[in-house]
Formats: sequence, C-alpha cells, structure tokens
Amino acid sequence: MSEGQLTTDAKPWADPNATPFLQIKNITKKFGAFVAVENVSLDIYKGEIFCLLGGSGCGKSTLLRMLAGFETPTSGQIIVDGQDQAGIPPYARPTNMMFQSYALFPHMTVEKNIAYGLKRDGLPKNEIATRVTEMLSLVQMDQFAARKPHQLSGGQRQRVALARALVKKPKLLMLDEPLGALDKKLREETQFELIKIQESLGVTFVVVTHDQEEAMTLSSRIGVMTAGEIIQTGTPHEIYEYPQSRFVADFIGSVNMFEGRVIEDGKDHVVISSKELGGDIYVPHGISGVEGQKMAVAVRPEKVRISRTDLGEMRNKVSGTIDEIAYMGNSSVFQVRLDSGKRVRVSQSNLTRDDDDALRWDDKVWVGWADDAGVVVAS
Amino acid sequence: MSMFAHTETNARSRLPGGKALGGLLQRLGLGGRGLVIAIPTLWLLLFFLIPFLVVAKISLSEAAIARPPYLPIWEWDDGLLNINLNFGNYLFLLEDPLYLSAYLESIKIAGISTLIALLIGYPMAYLIARSPENQRNILLMLVVLPFWTSFLLRVYAWIGFLKANGIINNFLLWTGIIDEPLIMLQTDFAVYVGIVYSYLPFMILPLYANLVKLDQSYIEASADLGARPVTTFLTVTLPLSASGIIAGCMLVFIPAVGEFVIPALLGGPDTLMIGRVLWDEFFSNRDWPIASAVAIVMLFVLVIPIMMLRKAQAVEEGAS
Repeated sequence: MSEGQLTTDAKPWADPNATPFLQIKNITKKFGAFVAVENVSLDIYKGEIFCLLGGSGCGKSTLLRMLAGFETPTSGQIIVDGQDQAGIPPYARPTNMMFQSYALFPHMTVEKNIAYGLKRDGLPKNEIATRVTEMLSLVQMDQFAARKPHQLSGGQRQRVALARALVKKPKLLMLDEPLGALDKKLREETQFELIKIQESLGVTFVVVTHDQEEAMTLSSRIGVMTAGEIIQTGTPHEIYEYPQSRFVADFIGSVNMFEGRVIEDGKDHVVISSKELGGDIYVPHGISGVEGQKMAVAVRPEKVRISRTDLGEMRNKVSGTIDEIAYMGNSSVFQVRLDSGKRVRVSQSNLTRDDDDALRWDDKVWVGWADDAGVVVAS
Repeated sequence: MSMFAHTETNARSRLPGGKALGGLLQRLGLGGRGLVIAIPTLWLLLFFLIPFLVVAKISLSEAAIARPPYLPIWEWDDGLLNINLNFGNYLFLLEDPLYLSAYLESIKIAGISTLIALLIGYPMAYLIARSPENQRNILLMLVVLPFWTSFLLRVYAWIGFLKANGIINNFLLWTGIIDEPLIMLQTDFAVYVGIVYSYLPFMILPLYANLVKLDQSYIEASADLGARPVTTFLTVTLPLSASGIIAGCMLVFIPAVGEFVIPALLGGPDTLMIGRVLWDEFFSNRDWPIASAVAIVMLFVLVIPIMMLRKAQAVEEGAS
C-alpha cells in the first residue's frame, strides 16, 4: 500500500488537524453577467476521490477548468499542496486532467500520446520508455502501443487517456466525466478498475460527473453542485441518507416527498401533518420546528414497505391502490396511488424466483415506513 | 451492397415508364450513384480532357505558315493513312536552355511565393479561426473582398505602389529613410509581391477551414501535459493542420507556376517565367506546336508533384 492512500475508515475531512491537499477558497467565476461558479469553498484531502456531481450547466466543469488553469477565477484562491495556483499557466501546474472527449492526439500512436507529457519534461529517453511501458501494462494496453487513437474502441481510448494523464505522476488528477462515453456494462467494469488504479498510485482524484451512480461508486466524498454553488458535501452514504435539501434528495436516487406542517413539537419527536399523504408523519428526532412550520419529509422507495394487510404497529402508514408495476429483475417498483391522490414509489427486492402471492395491479395495499426512514428537508 | 441495389430497382420499377430507362441505366453501370459522378465526369471530359488532347495533338505536329499555323498529323491519301508525329518540338525544348531555365525559374518563383504566402496566411487563418464566431464571417469577407475588383486592375495598382515615383518611394523619401528612390518595379521582388498578394486568399481559406475545425481540447490537453504554447503549436496544431497547409500550398503554387500577367506587368525583362515563354511562342512567334509542347511539359511538371501530394494526403487522411 502506498503512502497517502485512504483506508476505508480514514476520514481526514473529519479530523480538524488534517491539512487539506487541495484548498478552494471562495472561488467565483463570472462570464460577463453570468455567474458560473459562485463563492465555492472546498477542502480535498490527499488520496481522496472527490466527485463534483451536478446537472449540466451547474458550473462543475468550469470549476474543474479553473483547477487545471484553463480559466482564471474572477475571485478566490486555489491552493494545491500549499502552493497558490494563481498566475501559474496550465503547463506549469502540478496537476493533470483527463478530458471528457479524451483529447488523444489523433496523429500520434498510443505510445507517443502517453510519452508526450514526459517528453515535455525533458526526461531521458530510456526513462520515458520505461514509464510508458509501465503505464501501458497498468491500463492493460500493452498490445496497442503502436495503434493510433482512431483504431481503438471507446473503452481503450479511455484507458489511454487515463494512462496519459497519470504517467506524469500528478499530485492531483482531474477527470471530466471519465466514464461518460462508455456503455453501461463497460462503465461498471471500468469504475472498479479506476478505483484500483487510484489506490495503487495514491493520486488524489477530482472527478466531475452528472451520473449519480458513477459518483456513488467512485467517490470518497461527493460535492453536489447546482447553479454554481456546492449545496452539500459528504460521503456517498451521507448524501444519500441524509440529504440536507430537497434538491439533493431529489437529485440523488429517487425519493417520495411529502409536504406538510408541524402540528406537534414533542421533546423527542415532531409530528407533521401532510395533506398530500392524507395522514400524519412521525419523525423521531434530529429536527426542531415551530408548530405550523412548513416542512417536507423525503422517503426513499426502498425504505417503504408494501403489504396487502395492515402494517400493524407502524406509525407512518397509509392505504392506496397499485397503479403500476415495473419489473426490473432484481427488484420491482410499484407506483401506489394513495387515497389522497398522491403517487408513492415503492421498490422491493425480488428475493425469490417465483412468488404466487405477488402483488398485482389494482390491489388494495398498505404502504408505510419506519419512524426513522424519512428525512426532513427544508421546504 | 447488393441488398441496396435490389431495393433501388424495386423502387424504380414502381415508377410508370421509368422501368425501361432505369434498367438501361443500371446495365450501363449508372445507378443513382453513378449518375451523380457522371455529371462532373462529363464536364471534365468536355472542358479538360478534349482541349488537352487537342493541345497534345498540336504539340506533335509541325509548324507551318498556314491557317491554322501547323500541319495536320494525319492525312488520308488514296487509301493510305499517313500519320506524322513530330517529336522535334519536345527535343527542341531540351536543346534550348531557355526553356529549362524558364521552367526552373517558374518553379522557384512559385515555390518561394507559396512559402511567403504560407508564412503570412497561416497566422491570419489561425487568428480568424480563433476569433469570436460572430466576427469570423466579417474577417473572411475582408479576405475575399479584393476579388470584387478585377485581378488585372489590382496588379496594375501595384505598379502605382512600386514605381520609382510611386507611393512607397515617395513616402520613404518624405520620411528621409532613403535619399533616392528604390528600384522595385520590374524586379523579381515585384513579381513576388504580386503573386503573394494575389494568391493569399487561396492560402488563407483552406487553412481557415482546417483550423476552425481543430478541437480546442487538443491544445488544452497539450498545455495540461506540460507543453508551452510554442511547443503545442509545433507538435499539435501544425501536424493537425497539415492537410490545410497542403491544400493551400497547392492552390497557390499551381497557378503561380503558369502565371503570365504578374511577371509581364511587374517583372523585369530578365524575369523568365514559363507563362511568358508560352505567350511569346503563341502570339509573337506564332509557333503553335512549340507552345503546345511547352504547355504539355508544364502540365506534367505540375501533375507529378500534385499526385505525390495527393498520395501523401490520402495516407494521412486514412490515419486520422
């Protein structure tokens, strides 16, 4: 195991004494009157895979381009390993980037593409050759050294692009939609390979992606961006289970959202009355609200239970009719129309191959969830 | 392939009356695709190949004081076909050093002019391609604008610039940089100025078309990997624009070799370009066979490098 690598339990971001490897301080970027990135501050630690996740136009790529030096921040500071990057041109930065289009030089072979950065550093020929060979075998492209990029498949190009960006042993590697151009199957395989390579080299990755699944599997932490701002930073688990806003809850995975007002503010719980749901929602802890305050409760589909019979002791439950069933193989997704008219999404793992008692269309059912399954988000 | 051909025939047979014609064209190898190529082929046949064969024929005949001023190369005489092919014209071109030096001089002047046009045209094309999209068309129009005036007129205008009491000399005398006028007109220098000026748009346009397509991410990737702007230009931009450079150079070099008007108007008596030799043979000497031979040789002098370039280009395109 190389130095600087994150073990699964290490959480440098939680340690107040840890020094961040990449510090982004109050970065703002304006294009004319348009604010692409607004007052973003971020600390990224050595050995992390940090994902900037957001829809198109949210400013994530602009932020990445500022890290690479292709754009100059309107205000703010970028510090890599204690060194302020202001005024340093892209070719002198200790960072490298893997482009979304890969940007492999079409007139050069795979080998020359990878050697390009080393040649610019003026390394001796035999060292360049050794490092290129090492890289080629790391990404399993040994046999393709003499090919030109147009003779490669999408997945192979992706590997070459990765090798080219890594061969200079950058302190920080930025990846712009690294798996975006690959098909689903290849993407899944490549994700794990990417993590393996990152772990073996100990390089810090900053990944830009719009694909939440990609962000979830790859990253140590995720920064969710929208409209030029980072609205929540956290581990994939935190982001998924404890979204702090409606946007995050909605953007990551699917979610059932129930609007309501606080009607009871107890010591260890609140009760929210939701017209949409046609009932009350019991939330055990963690929030405080004034009576009458508007709130929303987010419940993930897989945390909702569904049954033909009454759900017994469960406090948060309502009845409805099955409107739609989508069979996905590993799970089934039910759309339940509540008596209030609202539709609720429920997903259930298909644990057995055949189920004679399976739920059918138009079945009358109960749906409900445990007290702590719902998350209250600002409405 | 055969599947497509099949559906094509089916579609055609549904047209009333079109069946017979379609079938005939098909048998002649003229499907839809063939017809599309047939039109330009016919055009080239009529306006290039036939004139070329006429010139080639004249080049093999003997000069005569007649109308037309050459003897026919075949005669039908009492059931006897006499074909007289006179290769003397070509041998004459080899004997007289005037022609060889005219060819070499033309190639030299055209080559240097092409190089200068490339050195001026490349940065211009690059800047136009990198300028904001809404300005590009205006800049391109400025490049093409001179074409709105007659070519002859523009070359004449250069006489006004370059002559002893022309604009440039008067300006330099006025500023005191020189004491007596520079002799610029009727020199090789004036020919270079004329050719570069006249053909510059032909260099800029193909280069622009190439550079505007150049993906900016290649430039960024190169910078990201540690290349300074000059290195990026030499290792990425330049090789990727090679096909534009080749196209631009061919468009300038080929017409420049045969250029007649510019050396005649701006060049001195010792500026010996093949275009002028051709003109003299045709109109002053009225020796059509020699003139035709000069033209044919010129064509081959041009065709061989063009074919070599095309081949190089094809190899390069296959790779990118």
